[in-house]
Amino acid sequence: MPTLDAPGPGYSEVVRLDGHVLDSLVLVKVLDIIVEAGASYKILDFDIGTTSRDESHVRIEVSCPAEATLGSLLERLQVHGVNREDSEDAQLAEVDQDGALPDGFYSTTNLATWVRLGGRWVEVARPEMDCAVAVSPDGSSARTLPMHRARRGDRVVVGMHGVRVARPGQWRGNDDFAFMTSQVSSEKPKGLTVERVAASIRRARTAGPDGRLGKVLMVCGPAVVHTGAAPAVAALVRGGWVQVLFAGNGFATHDIESAVLGTSLGAPLGGGQPSEHGHANHLRVINEVRRWGSIAAAVGAGWLRSGALYECVKAGVPFVLAGSVRDDGPLPDVVTDTVAAADAMRGQLEGVQVAVMLASTLHAIATGNLLPASVETFCVDINPAVVTKLADRGSRQALGIVTDVGLFAHELAGSLCGPSWQAQGPHGH
Amino acid sequence: MAIDAKGPGWGRRLLMCEPRFFTVAYEINPYMHVEVRPDPEGAMGQWAGLVGLLQQAGASIERLGPVEGLPDLVFTANAGFVQGGRFVASRFRHPERQAETAVDVAWARSQGYVVEEVPGKEPFEGAGDALPSGPRGVVLAGYRQRSSIQAHAGLSRLLGVPVRSVELVDERFYHLDLVFCPLDDRRAMVAGQGLDDYGCRVVRSLVPEPIWLEGSEAAAFCANSVVVGGVVVMPACPPRLGRALEAAGYEVAVAPVGEFLKAGGGCRCLTLALDVPAPPAVAPAPALWGSA
Repeated sequence: MPTLDAPGPGYSEVVRLDGHVLDSLVLVKVLDIIVEAGASYKILDFDIGTTSRDESHVRIEVSCPAEATLGSLLERLQVHGVNREDSEDAQLAEVDQDGALPDGFYSTTNLATWVRLGGRWVEVARPEMDCAVAVSPDGSSARTLPMHRARRGDRVVVGMHGVRVARPGQWRGNDDFAFMTSQVSSEKPKGLTVERVAASIRRARTAGPDGRLGKVLMVCGPAVVHTGAAPAVAALVRGGWVQVLFAGNGFATHDIESAVLGTSLGAPLGGGQPSEHGHANHLRVINEVRRWGSIAAAVGAGWLRSGALYECVKAGVPFVLAGSVRDDGPLPDVVTDTVAAADAMRGQLEGVQVAVMLASTLHAIATGNLLPASVETFCVDINPAVVTKLADRGSRQALGIVTDVGLFAHELAGSLCGPSWQAQGPHGH
Repeated sequence: MAIDAKGPGWGRRLLMCEPRFFTVAYEINPYMHVEVRPDPEGAMGQWAGLVGLLQQAGASIERLGPVEGLPDLVFTANAGFVQGGRFVASRFRHPERQAETAVDVAWARSQGYVVEEVPGKEPFEGAGDALPSGPRGVVLAGYRQRSSIQAHAGLSRLLGVPVRSVELVDERFYHLDLVFCPLDDRRAMVAGQGLDDYGCRVVRSLVPEPIWLEGSEAAAFCANSVVVGGVVVMPACPPRLGRALEAAGYEVAVAPVGEFLKAGGGCRCLTLALDVPAPPAVAPAPALWGSA
């Protein structure tokens, strides 16, 4: 099954060509000009005249890596009779009820999107799937709007007219790994895979042309701690390779339990028999943090002195802990209102270029729902179903790596932090 | 003297306009320089000479009355495109010539033509940019310099014949009649210098035996000739081209039009063919039910 139908430059426009375009070789010329300009085309409709007297009608989608190139190319093509398909402005409707959208609202994808306002294509800020598109009062900007945030008087796009969506593009770095796919494979050499993830993270942490660094988001499930990967995650945070962390009550509790008591759900991580009544360890830990009032307070008091969340607090890396109905406690930092939790996650996505999801189903899918397709997303899980699920819910950019998360995180930390990362514990410097 | 079997099958009835008010009053092509004015008497003399040669070749000349202030009205090829009883009026690209259209249309109406206009607003400069080519009624049409390709589909619908569009890539050859001169069903003089590869391929598909012009021949406006039967009335005819035309069975008559070249026009530009036949009617579809 092909994983990629064409290199996917992001800017495209549909144009028409009518007349005796075959016999005049005008169509050939137009297609040649498109290709010579470094753009690509897709014939959408081709109505060929049945006799030499009949005109032909062609609809062509012209795609270009840069919007400016597309504009000048279309201008050049106009001389040869190529016309932009009549474009209409996006239709807007006013929100008439808080928290609900007008009938026929345009539902977004996670791809880069433009809406036509007053004859101008305006890029929609913060691409996110399953949202509406809200337009600023002066019509100069547009952004995604989650349903629950709609307020009376907001103007949102309704219908499909005047909306343009970028085709899924290739990632930066045109290599065999960098394709847009949800392909899951347990057959790939893991060392190579880890190196490619590390390379993506390094690339994000190298200043772009605008001088800004991209952020790396890590999403962690409880198995990160059970598999002994928490110290690796802690090292990555300490090393400056993680800028945002999303998790739930489980990961946070186990991370703190292992840091304070050396157990995870009562089982000693260093080996040996589960301690008596050890199953209650995590409740004692939650209870203790609740006494301190927050994880940061527990760190400040010197009670919590290692682990992934400790490193986050120390390094000032923001984390969002989203709650669920089966949580014990929960920890005081956990946002128990799921809508508020999603909003808190949204608030941390600005600038994220790479997302690494480690052994998490619930939080990986929740994060996938919020991420633009342009974010390089790696989903590491021993269970291929997680990646499939993520892709089925629209996060097609996610690349699945089926492996033990403990091994993966160790190797990733080794690659990014150096082979001696395990020696550089929090108390080692 | 005309050899009847030769020729494109049209061009024996021509519209011309006396150059009484002809001058170079503006610059809309690379040949025009307002400081290089044509000599009025010289122009009148050259024009009369051209009329004489055309009549000698067997053409009948109809007259469009000159109008003061419209110096380019003499270039009747740009008035429109005549096919059968239909006059498709031009829509000039340059404002300097747009006032000519009212005069052209008034003349066409007075002669009983059905006056039509290519739909839309895109420029179309008549027979200067549209020439019937070959036996199947196909019209070759130039675009980019003056006429717009956007007018070609509408022109095809009006005329009921296929229009093949070729891009004019060189501003020195700003009208199709500077690069293409149909001779008969198999031949045409072609200045490939004014076309691109696509255009040359289109011409080859219509004209099995093209006579390609050399650079100096194209620059001397050799393609801007009027073909009346077997006689080619040309602004100039270098020996090589003369031999090629004679070998193809044509007689050459040179009509010096140097005064008009100062405005960027040659022999063909000074004439408009009025006898391009309408295409044969498409056979009506058989009746779906029996006739009474």
